[in-house]
Amino acid sequence: MRGITRLSSLVVLTLLILMAGPAMAQSTFIFGAQGEPVDLDPAIITDGISSRITRQIYEGLTKYKGATTEVVPALAEKWTVSADGTVWTFILRRNVKFHDGTPFDASAVVWNFERWRFTKHPQHEDQIKAGKTFEYYEAQFGGFDDKSLITKVEAVNPTTVRITLKAPQGPFLANLAMFVFDIVSPKAVEQWGTAFSKHPVGTGPFKFVEWKVGQEVILEANKDYWDKANAPKVQRVIVRNIKDSSQRLAALKAGEIHGMEGVNPDDVKVVRADPNLQIILRPTNTTGYVALNYKVKEFQDKRVRQAIAHAINKKGIVDALYGGTGMVANQFQPPSLWGNNKDLKDFEYNPQRSRDLLKEAGFGQGLKDITWEDGRKEPLQFWYMPVSRPYYPNPKEIAEAMAADLAKAGITVQLQTTDWAVYLDKRKNGQLPLYMLGWTGDNGDPDNFVCYFFCNPGASREGFYANQQLAEVLLQAQKLTDQPKRAELYRRAEQMIHDDVARIFIANNQPPLAFLKKVKGYVANPTGSEFFNTVSLQ
Amino acid sequence: MGAYAIKRFLTIVPVLIGISLIVFSFIHLIPGDPAVAMLGERATPQSVAEVRAQLGLDRPLYTQYFLYVGKVLRGDLGASILRGDPVLRDLVRRFPATVELATSAILIAILVGVPMGIISAVWRNSLVDGASRLIALTGVSMPIFWLGLMLAWFFGVVLGWLPTGFRLGTEVTLAPVTNFYILDSLLTRNPAALASSLRHLILPAVALSTIPMAVIARMTRASLLEVLSQDYIRTAESKGLPQQAVILRHAMRNALLPVMTVTGLQVGRLLAGAILTETIFSWPGIGLWIFESIQARDYPIVQGATLFIATIFVMVNLITDVLYAAVDPRIKYD
Repeated sequence: MRGITRLSSLVVLTLLILMAGPAMAQSTFIFGAQGEPVDLDPAIITDGISSRITRQIYEGLTKYKGATTEVVPALAEKWTVSADGTVWTFILRRNVKFHDGTPFDASAVVWNFERWRFTKHPQHEDQIKAGKTFEYYEAQFGGFDDKSLITKVEAVNPTTVRITLKAPQGPFLANLAMFVFDIVSPKAVEQWGTAFSKHPVGTGPFKFVEWKVGQEVILEANKDYWDKANAPKVQRVIVRNIKDSSQRLAALKAGEIHGMEGVNPDDVKVVRADPNLQIILRPTNTTGYVALNYKVKEFQDKRVRQAIAHAINKKGIVDALYGGTGMVANQFQPPSLWGNNKDLKDFEYNPQRSRDLLKEAGFGQGLKDITWEDGRKEPLQFWYMPVSRPYYPNPKEIAEAMAADLAKAGITVQLQTTDWAVYLDKRKNGQLPLYMLGWTGDNGDPDNFVCYFFCNPGASREGFYANQQLAEVLLQAQKLTDQPKRAELYRRAEQMIHDDVARIFIANNQPPLAFLKKVKGYVANPTGSEFFNTVSLQ
Repeated sequence: MGAYAIKRFLTIVPVLIGISLIVFSFIHLIPGDPAVAMLGERATPQSVAEVRAQLGLDRPLYTQYFLYVGKVLRGDLGASILRGDPVLRDLVRRFPATVELATSAILIAILVGVPMGIISAVWRNSLVDGASRLIALTGVSMPIFWLGLMLAWFFGVVLGWLPTGFRLGTEVTLAPVTNFYILDSLLTRNPAALASSLRHLILPAVALSTIPMAVIARMTRASLLEVLSQDYIRTAESKGLPQQAVILRHAMRNALLPVMTVTGLQVGRLLAGAILTETIFSWPGIGLWIFESIQARDYPIVQGATLFIATIFVMVNLITDVLYAAVDPRIKYD
């Protein structure tokens, strides 16, 4: 009898709650992500979905300030660099503890650097065995072990770390601010091994609570956070995995989540028109371009390249296809980067000029077929990406618009695409004659944008473009630590790329994020991952 | 009967081998290097080579296949390329979500579809019949992803009655026991979690139920009509039995046999439909997992989950066939 009473009261209670619907706790910030994190060990991840979460749990020696890529102190209070730019001395913050209670000090920093750098470090080796790589360390610091640009990391005393480099590196501090170089608790990594990625421990404003596989990651405010002025304003953070962008928007409109990334360009207007919602634009750090293959004889003629540059109506494309969040690009670095050349004059949109240039180059009848250096002749194919990226939110439509523009100038292209992996493969092997691609900056340093593409003249990956002079300028800038001097060199590099029409830059985008109006203090960082301790709900 | 079951069981062995072969080769026939796909635009040749070697992708195809089958037979479905988690463990963890959804969908489909079919058959060519046939036709033709989005939009956003996705609200906590949330809520006597999981289940289950519901309704109608025209029904009617008894007691028993087979076959469709439904409703089951893993080219997950689903499908059909034989003694295996 008692059982029946209990059961019926359970049923009644359930029905009551079912009718009432949920009330969202005000102290929980719920963010809708485009997918599930890969891993929560910052040293081995490369994706934005994972790093958005790890950024809340961990901190690095340096960090990017607010909505900029300006480097400011984080776990390191201050630093000095030797005159030759090879020895950096960092003074660490005192009284900082990891979430597991162990102290953050110089030995922890040294341990982290050694784990990244040495392939024989036990907690490096076990990751490799598990199929993971310390990809970013390799990319930013030239390799592991003897190849590493960092040659020595010493604990001078508990609050001082000295890092010695083989050669000066301009973007060194900007590199250290990247999410991959956030400092993790050595004790936790030693305890968990590769499973640390599911039991993350850092010093950040939020502590890890739970990762519900396939669903969400739950964090809670770190009550012992060292930076009292910037302590979290919400008690909990939940990052939910919502794959479908329409459903993400539906969940936001229904108030089930407070914010979301990956707003479709078409939905930006919908969000702007909704009195309960707001759009926050991520400052641009991304550039979409059209690249040419220099093994194609026709493209070796600069006038043909100029003709293509004059033929594309960038403004028309940006206005029509970026949902109001795009900007016309005239060079590789977005305007937010300090190496951007403000004096650079873009190719004006002028189909007639294109036709004239083509005529001068001997293509009075227009350009339709191309000849490769090895003698192969084929119709000119223009390749577009099969996937959406921040720099090209809807590549197919953008490619169609560009093809129509080119046709007006007498350049007939056949649009082509393929599977994403094949696309990247073909591009890497230099098999695409004319193609779309782009770049999203990692650390706000011009080197990260320009050098990756132009420091290896003749690389197949870059369509065999070979400009030794340009590479020299960029490599020189990489080794300086004086920012004004570096900026001057990057401006010169942009002018050289422009003058040679090495490739054609189409658009920068400011990827939109959508929030409920009651979300305050969300500061979107150009690098793609920001800190949630500034967020409050009203 | 016993011999039939055993013989029928043996026929699935070549089917399963075929499935494993197809699943395995299909994914390898897709163009593109999985290592490149995983590492993305910034892959260095070195890291690509490392990943290829770790995955065994540098070995001959047949070696990869036999190694795979050997492991599968030992219960090892490999580990996720992306996350390193054992596939079987995640499969076990996620499968309850899909079962919960699919079971609810098939229940809705039967509870609505069978009566709809009966009504249609009994009042053949009436307005009710027309309406229910129209509903059935619409149900079969409507793409799940569209219907799912519309349901989420209307009931979640416009009316605000039901959640737009997920299995549980963020405001409730539930300690999983079996990962069947409704069961777990009952086991842990957690009414808030029970209400929340039921609320979350409604829209995806309805979206997923439309196709099987329509198929079941059409099959019930057709099958009942056929039975109703038979002599023994006329006899029953002429004996003066009330219509209700004739239909429910005499006609339905025979009419339900083909409906049962069709329902069994719908399970396969449900699992396929689950990929779309789960993606639209962020339902953390196997469907969403497969979808994400296909995009990330996480070979072991796609292989493991597809193999698992195909096996379930074959098993369900086997059980349906055996049940059929139990219900209808005329069926023999030749």
